[in-house]
Amino acid sequence: MDRRTLLSLGALGAGTLLSSRADGAVKLFSSPLLPQERAHRPLIVLQLSGGNDGLSTVVPYAEDAYHRARPSIAHKKDKLLVLDEYRGLNGELKRLRAAFDAGRVAIVEGVGYPKPNRSHFQSLDIWHAADERGRGVGQGWIGRACAKACAGDSNPNLVVHVGANVPYSLHSLEHPAATFVNPAAYRWAGGEHETDAYAKASGAAAEGDEMAPEKPVRREGESSVEFLRRVMNDGHSSSLAVRRAAARYQTPINYPRNDALATSLRDVAALVNSEIGSRVLSLELAGFDTHTDQRNRHDNLMRQLDGALGAFLEDLGRSERGQAAIVLVFSEFGRRVAENGSRGTDHGVAAPLFVLGHRIKGGLFGKHPSFDKLDAGDLAHTTDFRSVYATLIERCFALEHEYVLGAKYALVPVA
Amino acid sequence: MPIALSIAQLAASLALAAPQSPEWTPAQAEHLLNRASFGARPAEVESAVRAGRQVLVEQLLKGFVEPAEPFFVDAPVRPDRRELEGLTEKQRRDALDRYRREERELLFAYAGWWIEQMVEAEHPLREKMVLFWHGYFTSSMRDVRNAEAMIRQNELFRRHALGNFGQLLRAVLRDPAMLEYLDNNQNRKDKPNENLARELLELFTLGLGNYTEQDIKEAARALTGWRTQAGSEALYSPRQHDNGKKTILGRTGRFNADDLVDIVLAHPACPRRVAGKLLEHFEGRAPSEERLAEYAQFLKESKYELAPFFEKLLLDERFYAPEVIGERIAGPVEYLVGSVRRLGVQVPPPLLWLAAGQLGQRLFDPPNVKGWDGGEAWISTSTLLARGNMAGMLLGVVKLEDVLKDDAFEAGDEPGMMDGGMMGDSMGPKPAAGAEKKVDLGPELSAMKRMLGTVYYPRINLTARVSRVGLSSDGEIIDFLADELLPIALTPLSRAALVEFLENERRQLDVDDGRLLGAGVKAEGVLRRLAHLILSLPEAQVS
Repeated sequence: MDRRTLLSLGALGAGTLLSSRADGAVKLFSSPLLPQERAHRPLIVLQLSGGNDGLSTVVPYAEDAYHRARPSIAHKKDKLLVLDEYRGLNGELKRLRAAFDAGRVAIVEGVGYPKPNRSHFQSLDIWHAADERGRGVGQGWIGRACAKACAGDSNPNLVVHVGANVPYSLHSLEHPAATFVNPAAYRWAGGEHETDAYAKASGAAAEGDEMAPEKPVRREGESSVEFLRRVMNDGHSSSLAVRRAAARYQTPINYPRNDALATSLRDVAALVNSEIGSRVLSLELAGFDTHTDQRNRHDNLMRQLDGALGAFLEDLGRSERGQAAIVLVFSEFGRRVAENGSRGTDHGVAAPLFVLGHRIKGGLFGKHPSFDKLDAGDLAHTTDFRSVYATLIERCFALEHEYVLGAKYALVPVA
Repeated sequence: MPIALSIAQLAASLALAAPQSPEWTPAQAEHLLNRASFGARPAEVESAVRAGRQVLVEQLLKGFVEPAEPFFVDAPVRPDRRELEGLTEKQRRDALDRYRREERELLFAYAGWWIEQMVEAEHPLREKMVLFWHGYFTSSMRDVRNAEAMIRQNELFRRHALGNFGQLLRAVLRDPAMLEYLDNNQNRKDKPNENLARELLELFTLGLGNYTEQDIKEAARALTGWRTQAGSEALYSPRQHDNGKKTILGRTGRFNADDLVDIVLAHPACPRRVAGKLLEHFEGRAPSEERLAEYAQFLKESKYELAPFFEKLLLDERFYAPEVIGERIAGPVEYLVGSVRRLGVQVPPPLLWLAAGQLGQRLFDPPNVKGWDGGEAWISTSTLLARGNMAGMLLGVVKLEDVLKDDAFEAGDEPGMMDGGMMGDSMGPKPAAGAEKKVDLGPELSAMKRMLGTVYYPRINLTARVSRVGLSSDGEIIDFLADELLPIALTPLSRAALVEFLENERRQLDVDDGRLLGAGVKAEGVLRRLAHLILSLPEAQVS
């Protein structure tokens, strides 16, 4: 094996790693630069982008108004996984139904916020900032929670996004998200000397250097080059750890094949079960903006979601930390009650959201919005999404939620 | 390098007689060429300094040489329903597959031509603006599914790139790709669809807070009747137009699409939004309120003409302020095109298209109707690592399959993949615009990547470039290459890392400082790895 091949297999790390075998690598990996396991519960956030149609996800089949409003796309009771005399899960959500029966799925009905915004971007911003002012408030809600709960923790893998576009919820001055689509490609591809120089140029201390890393501190007024150097430093140190964790992960669980969401969730499980200290892991499933021909498309999305999430939940059950994890599944808004002229639905307001995990309180929470009192054709919310956030902030970050949300919200006892 | 030549000729023709204002420094000249062009080599910067700012700005607005021949469109024709009915199932599939492949090839060819325009930089500001409008009036092939419509939209942007915003907006509202992308094909008198109207007010002209939901509903009615025909033609059908009275932004009348444009252009929020977006794009930071007001007023008074706007901006002292120079983060296309130009390497344009896509900017496929966020949003740990890898690929020190192997086209960022082929192979009605139509861009891409992987070999000789200027010591080599390859000055921290690297490499080859270039082919390897590092630095990511 020549030098460059060896290097390209391996690491951005220091020279010792390259000349030693696995035990050496493990030793470097568990060096004090990387944090120890935390007692807190990992938070996994899955965003269903585009506005998931809540009425096709948790279907109020007993509601006449529902069937009247949707002559061509309503789900009939016999196709549903009936939960009670009022509602049933979309027929594709078979694994989630089983998980619901096992108490691992909480459904919170009618989630939204006052003065709903029907723009994808604005509504996402509101969910991400946990504030009607959207991005105007500064950092995302998870960024703010981390700033409180993890102050001083410079682990670049503290917050991870698996996907191409980092959601604003993770926006943080102190803890920017490590992000990648595929962990194997998450590296700077250079030889040993170049990689050392890359690390040095990023401000990291050279190997054997007694000095503390010259890691640039984020501050207001940071120049672009300083900002870039900090991200370079984070990327350098985080990529090695992430690649290792993903490559070494073994699980007997069969995730659906050729499914990007399932693949990403498997990587998330790998990180949860590793020592890299990720507290928040975020993903996205896009495609929910079903303005036309909704029925098949939404059913396909439900099938994909069910397969991937079902396998992931099972996988989480295999470890202590996995069992402690809490999964939030949300969308920026629901869709209008009445179907439109193209057998689809337009942007709406309230919708159910899901909280999953092995140590949560499963079941139904909140109240289904009334069909008699529609707000401009939309379901009005009955639970503020920040009530769910409040619960997650307390359980996952062990924080008083009002320090993050700026106000007190009634907790939804899902966990 | 046409720009080098043309700036040099320009300087020569002025016989170096132009009075040199003291504030026109090489750093400022390079800054202008970073922002209004796609970056420059030191020789070009020198010529630009000699030409003077005023002359250079005039040339940037006109273009350096006659614009290249327009791309010729001879679009594949989709087999029609009747034609397909007479075929067996397999023949039908083959016919549709062939059509889709031809469509893809056409778009790839065009994307390559477009990128070539940027690399050649014959009319660089125009091409910068085409790129800007592509992210401003977004449409995606993913949703439009018609190569000719996408190409025509791009030509529309080029035609109006530095023209008049009002005319551009008018044209966009009857652009076939846009009508499809924002669902105006479903916007009919009896069943209005608000999508185009909403984005027109929210993103294209006024911005949130300047209109009501009712304005959107009424504006949608004004837009009824315009739709796409045969994939790439715009058609107005009066029968589908709602000719009733509408009240939009406080004005009432039987408004149509053109009236709507007049109404929004006359609204005070419109010049503010357009001026603000342009300033932010070209300066890399949101303007101060005072500056925004000044430029909005100017845009309004010049009736939305863009050339005077750019003349004002590019000659504005504040455009050359220290907090502006080097502070704008380059987008992936700018980073790649700039690197290619500075390296002086020939790269197949489709390869750059693939690489930019992997870095988060896939031409003809913006992420959503808001376009690319730009600025810091381009940069994550992974995209920054990947930028360095792409630079390594351009230099031939990183294998192509290593950086393009885990392509986002095939995995990862399209979890909702469905709906079959990109061009809509189902015989049923097409889904509307939005994030939902996730389609696989197809096996041809993999094939193309494999092909490019075997074909691409960088023709570059850094050793010769360094020897020609008679440099030999580590420090000289580093400073020379950094000057050649970086859009801004090298920082001491980065320089120290490069010095250490070069020392190490030299020691390994057992040659003394000053004698590296004597190491022949091995020296070229060292210089390329050095260049790879330089292009991976923070200083390489700005413009």
